Amino acid sequence: MSKVDIGKKMLSENDRLAAENRVRFAEAGLLVLNLISSPGSGKTALLESTLDRLPDGVRVLVIEGDVSTDRDIERVRAHGADGVQINTAGGCHLSAKMVGKVLPDLNLDGADVLFVENVGNLICPSTYDLGEDAKVVLLSTTEGDDKPMKYPAIFHESSVAVINKIDLLPHLTYDIERAEREIGVLNADCDILRVSALKGTGMDEWIAWILRKMKEKRGE
Amino acid sequence: MHELSICQSMLEIVDGAMADHPGARLERVFVDVGRGSTVEPSLLRDAFEIATTGGPYEGAELVINEIPLVGKCRSCGRSFEYKEIALGCPDCESTSVEIESGLELNVRELEIDG
Ligand SMILES: Nc1nc2c(ncn2[C@@H]2O[C@H](COP(=O)(O)OP(=O)(O)OP(=O)(O)O)[C@@H](O)[C@H]2O)c(=O)[nH]1
Ligand SMILES: [Mg+2]
Ligand SMILES: [Zn+2]
Repeated sequence: MSKVDIGKKMLSENDRLAAENRVRFAEAGLLVLNLISSPGSGKTALLESTLDRLPDGVRVLVIEGDVSTDRDIERVRAHGADGVQINTAGGCHLSAKMVGKVLPDLNLDGADVLFVENVGNLICPSTYDLGEDAKVVLLSTTEGDDKPMKYPAIFHESSVAVINKIDLLPHLTYDIERAEREIGVLNADCDILRVSALKGTGMDEWIAWILRKMKEKRGE
Repeated sequence: MHELSICQSMLEIVDGAMADHPGARLERVFVDVGRGSTVEPSLLRDAFEIATTGGPYEGAELVINEIPLVGKCRSCGRSFEYKEIALGCPDCESTSVEIESGLELNVRELEIDG
């Protein structure tokens, strides 16, 4: 019986492919945001509303991750985005390999920002680096205010948490301060925004956040 | 959920290491799984069982070292299991906390025969 020392992350191969994607994105000077939430929190709705509000001249690409349909890519195309759909055939997350494979189908050069809408799931996507600049976690007021503590990894990994559907707050017992406090304890550096993708509340702050990140990416 | 694909990534790492030891049999795989890592140990064990049955690693054991999710208060320096510190430090009430451990997902070592 002998021991063989390994000392590797289980997802080291995914991390290697993510680093390759990251090089490609850096060459194109492209800001890449990985959107993660439970099913139905409003990832696609936030993208639709974002596409309507970004200043003219900002070129947007979208990769939609979904188990089996083209519905989300059709929705964002209707708001002017170029993009591709990835069907994971049952898989509960996108991987760096899946994203790398569709990059030749996208015209990266001259684009400013690439949104990757991950498969609706608050657990699995948080462990798979895609080569993004930042993870954006969305939670909606209808999911309950105790979610950060239940899904610590994604809040620890995200650069910004967007609390969506705040238009519904008057009808709910959602304690938004509690949710924000839990996020802060998990990740002191995580920005927190309150929005309603449907009504447009808070969207100016979200757009400003994206534009600030775009500038940082270009080194301005 | 994703334990099956995590298990596949793990077995690719095992394949890579076993290639350096031709003819050896895999006895044990030692891994670290943090409680905040999104991987459920029992599901990973099931995935390992399914993935190794009928192949060269049949009968090998997956030994999971579960690591608690621990947060450390940046103000007073004390550490707590995360559930105690979720809304702030129980001692000094500071909300400035950093995760010390519990997000690990590593293959540590193998035990082989031959
Ligand atoms: N009231 C309200 N409803 C919203 C808001 N944002 C999204 N919704 C609704 O929530 C539902 C789900 O929105 P989607 O954008 O499809 O959610 P998603 O996260 O993309 O869902 P999956 O891609 O299936 O994971 C839709 O019926 C939206 O109209 C909001 O700000 N307020
Ligand atoms: Mg969607
Ligand atoms: Zn303290």
